[in-house]
Amino acid sequence: MTHTLHRRGSREELKNDFVVMSMSAKTVNVKGSGEKMRRMFEILEKHPHVNFGDCKTGSKFQQDWGYIRDRFQDTSVLAYVFNDRAAVEAALRDLKEADLGLSVIVSGVVDEIKDLAREIGLKPHTIEFSGGIHGRTELLPEEPVLEITTMCGHAMVSPELVKDLVAKVRKGKKTLAQAAEELAQPCVCGIFNPKRAEYVLSKLI
Amino acid sequence: MIIDQEKCIGCGKCRPYCTAGAIVNHPKDKGTGRKAFSEVIRDECVECQVCLRAEVCPTQAIVEEELSYPRILRRAFSDPIYTHEGTDIPGRGTEEMKTNDVTGRFKEGMIGVGLEFGRPGICLRLKETEKALGKLLPLGVQVEPHNPLTQLIADFKTGRLKEEVREEKVLSAIVEMIVPQAKVQEVLAAVKEVAAEVETVFSLDMISKVEADGALPCIREMEKAGLKRSVNGKVNLGLGKPFAG
Repeated sequence: MTHTLHRRGSREELKNDFVVMSMSAKTVNVKGSGEKMRRMFEILEKHPHVNFGDCKTGSKFQQDWGYIRDRFQDTSVLAYVFNDRAAVEAALRDLKEADLGLSVIVSGVVDEIKDLAREIGLKPHTIEFSGGIHGRTELLPEEPVLEITTMCGHAMVSPELVKDLVAKVRKGKKTLAQAAEELAQPCVCGIFNPKRAEYVLSKLI
Repeated sequence: MIIDQEKCIGCGKCRPYCTAGAIVNHPKDKGTGRKAFSEVIRDECVECQVCLRAEVCPTQAIVEEELSYPRILRRAFSDPIYTHEGTDIPGRGTEEMKTNDVTGRFKEGMIGVGLEFGRPGICLRLKETEKALGKLLPLGVQVEPHNPLTQLIADFKTGRLKEEVREEKVLSAIVEMIVPQAKVQEVLAAVKEVAAEVETVFSLDMISKVEADGALPCIREMEKAGLKRSVNGKVNLGLGKPFAG
């Protein structure tokens, strides 16, 4: 899965968009990993964040934290979204100390993550980059809309929904924050960053 | 998905949520007096269930139909909560680099290349992936066997999919490959040809294990191919155990 890879935006904007994820390896360490993921979920909760979820159960904008916490399975996929580098650093230090043995993947500006890893004493193992969008790119919506919709890498957030909510904000029917939270709702994995969405929406109004 | 016409009042609240442009609103027909209504164009629907989960319909007119093969593939490839039978994980890819610290799937000297067809948010008919598979499989690339798309290939020489799945529309499908570094430029040249032929879009992924000196071969290969690399990416921090090295 690469659902956190293709988040679009400038370096400056993406510097405040981090997704911390974890999952077990089906052929290696899946057995009993649900409990470890539950503990990881509890550790990450302590750090200021803007979204969370498990692809198997739902996100902050669909379920209570406790509902998600109680349903972790060995094949769950955990995610927390942060918009503050200091919070990510503190969270990763806690994960390193907890030594749960599950793979941890951080999505964000790669240079920033490498710096963080160095400061914490971690050595990045594997890195993935996006090589852009190819093919019938004329079918894509305008860039600010893409910056919002690509925050759900499973494309659960429709460009039409973005446009619909922009119209509602312009008419005074919703605030930017309300519109951003409504955009976060369809992203079941909890990787959508509503704070970033609020900022991008303000450019569209 | 189906909109029950007995219950639908044509308010149109569901339409913006549709990820595939499959919901059409019809205004009231003043000539005939037919009421306003919305409908799901069945062949355009990818069964992602976003419209249902949004819970915006005031009359609960949106219902899911019981799906069988091959239409169930639409949901399997489009609804991230739905677990693929073949992979046992949600989503339409595999663990990929996320667990590479314990699986050792992407080793030194090998580059992971992925083509995420339909992403972001354009959708595709599964047969579009044949345009990539048909060019890449003959190059001898190793496609990920646990990827749900790989499991639909009928002919590994031509990349032709099983006949009954080809016209199914989905939100995305991923061609996942592992390529020896020496072959990457040849593969990326073929990817450029694919880009000129497809009727949809695809997002390109490049993966490499960090070398002992911190170098990333995928960066070198992307630069050689003239590909613009994202500033953001995914970093596996090497915390998994047992560590594969």
